[in-house]
Amino acid sequence: MSTVIEIKNVSKEFKVLNRREGLKGSIKDLFSRDYKIVKAVDDISMTIDQGEIVGYLGPNGAGKSTTIKMMTGVLEPSSGEIIVNGRVPYKNRTLNAAEIGVVFGQRSQLWWALPLIESFKLLKDIYGISDADYKNMMDFYQSQVDIEPILHKPVRQMSLGQRTLSDILAAFLHNPRIVFLDEPTIGLDVSMKSKIRTLIHALNKEKNTTVILTTHDMGDVDALCRRIVIIDKGKMLYDNDMEHLKNFFGSYRTLKVRVKGDLKAEAEVIGKELSEFQVTADDEWISILVDEDKRKVIDVLGQLQQARQIRDMQLEEISTEDVIKKIYEEGVQ
Amino acid sequence: MNLKRRLSLTRAGIIESLQFRLSMLIIFVGNLLYLIVIYFLWKAIYASSGQEVVNGMTFSDTLIYLVLASAIFNFIEMYTVWEMGRAIQSGNMVLNLLKPMEYRKYLFWSFSGTFVTQFFFTFLPTFIIVAIVTNGAIQFGFNLLYFVISIVMAIVINYNIDFFVGTICLYTESIWGINIMKQVLVLLLSGATVPIAFFPETFKKIVYCLPFQSIYNAPLSLLLGKDMPVSEAMTTLGIQLLWCVVMMILSRLFWKSSLKQITVNGG
Repeated sequence: MSTVIEIKNVSKEFKVLNRREGLKGSIKDLFSRDYKIVKAVDDISMTIDQGEIVGYLGPNGAGKSTTIKMMTGVLEPSSGEIIVNGRVPYKNRTLNAAEIGVVFGQRSQLWWALPLIESFKLLKDIYGISDADYKNMMDFYQSQVDIEPILHKPVRQMSLGQRTLSDILAAFLHNPRIVFLDEPTIGLDVSMKSKIRTLIHALNKEKNTTVILTTHDMGDVDALCRRIVIIDKGKMLYDNDMEHLKNFFGSYRTLKVRVKGDLKAEAEVIGKELSEFQVTADDEWISILVDEDKRKVIDVLGQLQQARQIRDMQLEEISTEDVIKKIYEEGVQ
Repeated sequence: MNLKRRLSLTRAGIIESLQFRLSMLIIFVGNLLYLIVIYFLWKAIYASSGQEVVNGMTFSDTLIYLVLASAIFNFIEMYTVWEMGRAIQSGNMVLNLLKPMEYRKYLFWSFSGTFVTQFFFTFLPTFIIVAIVTNGAIQFGFNLLYFVISIVMAIVINYNIDFFVGTICLYTESIWGINIMKQVLVLLLSGATVPIAFFPETFKKIVYCLPFQSIYNAPLSLLLGKDMPVSEAMTTLGIQLLWCVVMMILSRLFWKSSLKQITVNGG
């Protein structure tokens, strides 16, 4: 497999004006030279191969978009080296643009007033796609999703889901080697989400396109990514397979119980009894995240049963969501 | 292939502008109102001066000039500053920068469709009406050829000035004030609101040293000038060409260096 993206010790710093409070402060700010340096990305390295789907995760403001902007060439790294398709992106932005596709959720590169098909034709000419390739791609799209009803609709009349779908189709149209998807499923309903996941999966399989996906939706990650990279506060926390991550947290199980009485109040009592574990409650279940290296689940269950009557119980493997949450909160040791 | 890319943008622009039927009607009506205002304004000016000819122009000369100037305005004005400012504020600029085409060219060709529709829907009808109504005030000869060449260069100069001003929005992040200031300055200094013949002598000299008069004054004087000697026409076109090149280089350099600023500091 060939490498398409190589990032070596990349950092990005921004100079930000220190803003003061109030009207007086705002006036002072007009003349202020008081800048502070904010490190958005701090010493990140990774290598991504052709055909991979990489989930790029992190809480809001972690530096995900900054990294993507550096990979696309819109931002120049403060230090370190990025090579995309054998080129330095910020020096060859226009050239690089021909071989990548981007979707920034909630932003559209389509022509607002034009029917989708006109946008596609325009992109065909702008990217210099040959008639055969274009037809090929359209046929493939047709086989994957039912595009006929949206093809002749002006983009401004589309629903958010249709527009996102269109934007993704537009980003893949020139068969780029890499596609960056920045929160593509944000704000979409369940069926549209799954439609879009299936589409991305199929495109990746068929065209061997590398996909870099940032998202907050763990459903996206579970459905698409074999590898995930997690960053927080600009620093890389994790870069490995999903499987590996699950093994790492493999000793964790979620024990869900339902007891008599008010669940919230009961959860608090249980929380005190089992102070070493995390206990939460919702309308139906009390969930206890048990680390089996410390205590067996059966043990915990036994202790719970002594004090109260358990009406129902469930045992769950830890979900990706919980894993990520644990990493955000505690990091990987 | 490069040409195909550009013409494809033109084509999309034409389709896009035809989508907004109502807006075209409103432009037409707005233009009509403007023309009525200037008719009475200048009628009053001539009446109060008590002379037939003011600064070498008769009332009908002035009116023809201003009517055509407003027709040209509707046709070549493309609100570049507005468009750029909006893209900068909303952050959509990122997507524009990720097109495999230089942004300055991409934007120009995206607008080019509007030239075509506006030319046929506003400029040409106005021109024909003026030609018929004034019966002979506009000559039909080489001046039409000069005018066409001149107006193409006017478009290029106007676009590059706009693009230059639009780039300033990268720094200020505000659009409104800059846009208004630019509009007023350009329209005044180019002779679109008041014919340059009416300017005081020293001011006139300064204005002739600036690029703006190449946008409205140059094509209009080539069109309306009676029996203009070839040498004079060539000088006007030559000056325009010079400004074309200068403004293209300036706007390009300014954009490049500003872009460098963004890629370093983020936008």
